[in-house]
Amino acid sequence: MTALSEARLGDGDRRVRRVPHVRLGALGRLSERRGWAWLLLLPSLVMILAIILYPTGYGLWLGLHEMRLTRPDRDGFVGLKHFIAIADDPIFWLSLRNTLVWVVGSVVGELALGLAAALVLNKDLPGFKLAAALVLLPWFLPNVVAGNIWAMMLDPRLGVINDVLVRMGVLTTYRAWFAEPDLALAAAMAVEIWHGFPFFALLLLAALKAIPQDLYEAAACDGAKAWDQFVHVTLPQLRMIIVASVVLRVISLVNSPEILLILTGGGPGRSTQVLSLYAFLKAYKEFNFGYASALATVMFLLLMLFSWAYVRLSNVMRD
Amino acid sequence: MAVVRSRRARRRIGVVLSYAAMLTIVVFAIFPIVWCLLVSLKPESEIVSAQMTYWPRTVTFENYVAIWTRSNFPTLIMNSVVTTTITVAICIVVGTLASYAISRYRFRGRSALMLGYLVVRMFPAVMIIIPLFIVMRGFGLLDSRLGLALAYTTFLLPVFIWMMKGYLDAVPPEIEDAARVDGSSRIGAMVRVVLPLVLPGLVATAVFIAIGAWNEYLIALMLTTSTGSRTWPVGLQLMVGEFQLPWGSLAAGGIISIIPVVVLFVLVQRVMVKGLTAGAVKG
Repeated sequence: MTALSEARLGDGDRRVRRVPHVRLGALGRLSERRGWAWLLLLPSLVMILAIILYPTGYGLWLGLHEMRLTRPDRDGFVGLKHFIAIADDPIFWLSLRNTLVWVVGSVVGELALGLAAALVLNKDLPGFKLAAALVLLPWFLPNVVAGNIWAMMLDPRLGVINDVLVRMGVLTTYRAWFAEPDLALAAAMAVEIWHGFPFFALLLLAALKAIPQDLYEAAACDGAKAWDQFVHVTLPQLRMIIVASVVLRVISLVNSPEILLILTGGGPGRSTQVLSLYAFLKAYKEFNFGYASALATVMFLLLMLFSWAYVRLSNVMRD
Repeated sequence: MAVVRSRRARRRIGVVLSYAAMLTIVVFAIFPIVWCLLVSLKPESEIVSAQMTYWPRTVTFENYVAIWTRSNFPTLIMNSVVTTTITVAICIVVGTLASYAISRYRFRGRSALMLGYLVVRMFPAVMIIIPLFIVMRGFGLLDSRLGLALAYTTFLLPVFIWMMKGYLDAVPPEIEDAARVDGSSRIGAMVRVVLPLVLPGLVATAVFIAIGAWNEYLIALMLTTSTGSRTWPVGLQLMVGEFQLPWGSLAAGGIISIIPVVVLFVLVQRVMVKGLTAGAVKG
């Protein structure tokens, strides 16, 4: 057990012992012992171990086993069989490609829109505080509600978006957004961008407000126009937060198939099937737990690889 | 004079443009929510008519009555309330203790631990769901609200600890030192002095966690199989898929289920935003 740093806690004070603290008696005494910090941490460590680390380890183990709830007679160790099968699985490669398009498209869209929103909302005018709060709302909406609202609005027959686009002359006839393989992923991305851009707006707006005003004044003294100030003052100041928020967002986009499950279920055909959805459906529909776990493992490894490379790369680019 | 006037005019144009841009973004963000509300207030005939009606010609609450009385929506909502409450209770007790230790004490392994709490969020939900399904089945927790709440803490507890640590860090350590000098024990200083000070942050964190648990769909879909524990996102989606739920009822159900989210968000919005963006400001 590790010792606490006693410097700040001032254990030497004699009055600590003289003044009895009645109601917290036993706990109070316990809290003066060494290792108190670990005692506070213990419940969370137990929980993390029991419900995150153990299941994760179990999941890795499952990837090396056959496990189908529908055919229990076949259960057993199969080594790398699933991983070899994955390498030969055309649906895996298609899902991987879709995941790339889905994640890159969504993150770029959300970041661009989030940055635009943050720049617009970063004004000291009446009503802008309220606007900043309203813009956050989509992010707090459940996927089930967000997905179904958009499914209604994008409906091929009765959707309001078709109606608006036809009235504006952008479209000549109504379109079935989620029925055309080429269109479905783009339409789902638009929904995701609407749902996720407030995350970037929130963080970037806070970061913008934290930029010292004198940096802009100095730049203005040097004759920098608005665009130059944006490129040479604003963007460098936002760099760290952009790097961090993008990696967080990529992780949650790769891991969560919810919005696609609700909007398209992976269809039409497999045009919107991403890796996480593929793995989930393997487990949920086919009860093929072994193969699904192997898919999740591959996904996790790819994500680790990406995070590592991304952080390395963004550090290199700074130097 | 001319220069001054033109500068003032330019500034006025700037203000107008700012408002125009702001309104565009706000409309983009909340139009779908407003649309959902409008659909929920329209009678069926207006929703399915080929001629699009934007503003409801007759306002009706029949969709709300329909989803509330002619489906098991109340049960679903109740299940969600119970599951969310258990999740939040676990996070408050376990997470507050952990975040307090991390924020207040310096011990070996502290930064590794903090990183660990961050890394566990990278684990794909799909990878954890399958083993959780098997383990929960073994303990008889499958298809139970407690089991689902435990599953939710997997991704919400680390978030709680990180967010709460931010609020605790903002309370100066001198306050605790003063309490200690006055003879308070460590736990006394924590419970009587620091936690009351950080209460708004605790509430904001709890609300953030509650919204996460209330909204969750994927884990609930896998771990609940009957109306005894099924939460509203799963139940509502099931109604959409299997019973071709009419749009009016769907919209009404959506509005009912997001009311608590919106109300809670509005109440703690300011403190919550401060906590969520603490990292962004520090850089």
